[in-house]
Amino acid sequence: MTGSSFLLQAESIDKSFPGVHALDKLDFDLKEGEVHVLLGENGAGKSTFMKIISATLPKDGGKMFIRGQEVEPISPRHARDLGIGMVYQELSLVPSLSVAENIFLGNLPKRGTGTVHWPRLFTEAHRLLDDFGVDINPRQRVGTLGMAERQLVEIAKALSMKVQILLLDEPTSALSDEERGRLFDIIHRLREIGVGTVYVSHRLDEVPQIGQRVTVLRDGKRMDTLPVEDADEDTLIRMMVGRELKEHFPKEEVKLGREILRVQGLRVKNKLNDLNLTLHEGEILGIAGLMGAGRTEFARALFGIDPIDSGKIFIDGREVTISSPWEAIELGLGYLTENRSDGLVPRLSVAANIILASLRRLCTMGFLHLRREKSLSERYVRELGIHAASLHQKVEFLSGGNQQKVALAKWLCSHSKIMIFDEPTRGIDVGSKTEVFRLMNQLVKEGVGIIMISSELPEVMAMADRILVMCRGSFSAEFGSGEATQEDILRYAVIGGE
Amino acid sequence: MGRSKTTREKSGDRAAALFWPGRHIGVQETGWAVLLRGGPVIALLFLLAYFSFATPYFGTLSNLKNIAQQNAYLVILAIGQTLVIIGAGIDLSVGAVMAVSASVMAVLATQKITIMGIAIGPLNAWLAMLIGVAVGVIAGLVNGLIIAKGRIPDFVATLGMMETARGAALLVTGGLPIPSHLTATELRGYLPEEIIWMGGREVLGIPTGALIALATVVTGGVILSQTGVGRAIFAVGGNKEAARVSGIKVDRIKIATYTLMGLMAAVAGIVLTGRMNSANALMATGVELKCIAAVVIGGTNLFGGEGTIVGTMIGAIIMGALGNGLNLLNVSAFWQRVIMGIVIIFVVVFDQWRRRRFAA
Repeated sequence: MTGSSFLLQAESIDKSFPGVHALDKLDFDLKEGEVHVLLGENGAGKSTFMKIISATLPKDGGKMFIRGQEVEPISPRHARDLGIGMVYQELSLVPSLSVAENIFLGNLPKRGTGTVHWPRLFTEAHRLLDDFGVDINPRQRVGTLGMAERQLVEIAKALSMKVQILLLDEPTSALSDEERGRLFDIIHRLREIGVGTVYVSHRLDEVPQIGQRVTVLRDGKRMDTLPVEDADEDTLIRMMVGRELKEHFPKEEVKLGREILRVQGLRVKNKLNDLNLTLHEGEILGIAGLMGAGRTEFARALFGIDPIDSGKIFIDGREVTISSPWEAIELGLGYLTENRSDGLVPRLSVAANIILASLRRLCTMGFLHLRREKSLSERYVRELGIHAASLHQKVEFLSGGNQQKVALAKWLCSHSKIMIFDEPTRGIDVGSKTEVFRLMNQLVKEGVGIIMISSELPEVMAMADRILVMCRGSFSAEFGSGEATQEDILRYAVIGGE
Repeated sequence: MGRSKTTREKSGDRAAALFWPGRHIGVQETGWAVLLRGGPVIALLFLLAYFSFATPYFGTLSNLKNIAQQNAYLVILAIGQTLVIIGAGIDLSVGAVMAVSASVMAVLATQKITIMGIAIGPLNAWLAMLIGVAVGVIAGLVNGLIIAKGRIPDFVATLGMMETARGAALLVTGGLPIPSHLTATELRGYLPEEIIWMGGREVLGIPTGALIALATVVTGGVILSQTGVGRAIFAVGGNKEAARVSGIKVDRIKIATYTLMGLMAAVAGIVLTGRMNSANALMATGVELKCIAAVVIGGTNLFGGEGTIVGTMIGAIIMGALGNGLNLLNVSAFWQRVIMGIVIIFVVVFDQWRRRRFAA
């Protein structure tokens, strides 16, 4: 009776892992044609919940109903047959196959002889992509597509199986604003045909843009479900962290010292043209821009990972050449990578990762000072508040926020004077974000210069002393602190300089 | 008293760090996991117990010495292979490199060679060994350079080296065993005692080969657990990109592991030559897979980034004890290979299960 208007209902879903009560009698529902946003800090239970709905994980207790009918999906395949499609945070596409093959993988149209019916495969894929207004050639190899397109292919794949309930786990974390807009258009189109979407995100600004209702989880419990009109950012944050964050971005004023870095005319063919910048002691220099504008390429070129074609780099007024990361480290640079997995060795311990960039300093005649390794890493674990079972715990078992802190500790340990932070807050929860900003403040107070690359405009605007806007491989504008609005920055990021 | 206890614990820790490098940089474990970490140890104890029970000769001192002497070369190779595999590589050329370095050594130590009109008599045995070792080191270095600088997959590069080195060994020996009665007319018909001593004699009742193997085990353990290079090997094998961004010279580490492997292969070649009183171009065929099996049985991750020296040593001893025990039990050589294969799979399956069960 009442259940019929709900596409999906979950009643008191319960799940425990050793030592953690991941989901505590969670109730959740989803209406037809609705986007229901699921919010919560890391470890709040969002991903666990999605995995239980899609039957990737078994549940300990609770019931699930689809259109009022009780269901008990036993495998991801079964869940899909029931109309539940999950799009994973880490995409599950085969890069070496074409878009069409990926969409129909495991379900390829066959001829009577059992061989693949190629013409039908491509026309059907084309129709499907056309249906929701995506302009991707179905014959293209997935490996050549950008992240946004892959995400869309993944969604198309889910839809090809007549999915009624779409589960999206942080779909926009790797997308630029423009790409995000396209994804949202498609989600809106899906609403019109009655598909219900559960949307997990860390980005509060997305909530009013995409959702109708929002549910906040904390420690596996449902805090509340609200219509988005009633859910302003402060309310949501309060529910997520359970306390008022007085100041999201507690920027502290620091007096700038002398110039420590100057880049002149840096060029990388087809990627970066004529980049110039300076950085001072105690300064946070923000670099804003859309995904693909060349910000990470710039960081990699500066740090000696990718070769530069021309340009001069001065450190402390002295011209230097940096052609490999170890030279960069010797010169006092540190690079917190965009992708955490590029910065950590997952199967090594917390301690080993912390001293990884300081190996040379910690060795005499090639022998490692194990005791200093211990004392140094103990110190950084304490100072940064890294939550690990012990120094010997492998970093792969830490949460995202703690991994990020370990990556940060590595550069603190190597005494970097010039730090490049590439998306330092990606994929970590609000509490950890504030912590990262606090550490940035502390660093600049000690005279470190920071280049902060971020796609989160409010964060850059709050933290940076100056902001450089990057567009298609060039700097298109420079703003002092408080000089620009989000719209100004976005305009230069999209359109570029005059 | 309390003090003496803490010092003892500390020195215990150091020893543990040395012999269980995985523990030092790995996870702190529960009691069960500590017990099961010794999965290969349990398998070994079981084997030893079974064979001692099944055949009275197995447990005798002379047979145990025999096992040690026979498998010393395998342990040495497996230690080198462990370093390579932890660094996310694999070396298929070890048997061939072993053969070519041993052949060069044996030829130099027994034959007259004419270089640019100057006849050089049989060289001093130590000099011949040194040159043999140099050949192994160079072969390893070339492997490393091709892989690191040429950006060729490890598998392919060392496969090429395997053929090349085997061919070179045939060229050096002319396809004959060295020393050989066929060519003995103007030459020395036997290997010098120094070389035989390296693999076929005893010191204080312990086979020399086993002592040399023990020395490589300690060296390997020290490198992995106590040195910056060792840590860098783990980092390169665990995440090459992260290692590079952290300022580790990935190419050099890669080259270093293969060069060390070459050195170990040459040492293993001397030990085996000494034990057999002869070198030939086709010696040690197939040992590359045997030593990889020992490494895998020992719990080292074939994809790199994880592994222990002691595990490898136990893996090698399991293979040696199994071969010897089956021989004593009169099991046919054909069945022995089948059983060996099954044991490899069983131990690794168990190890994988253990990892999954006790992860996190």
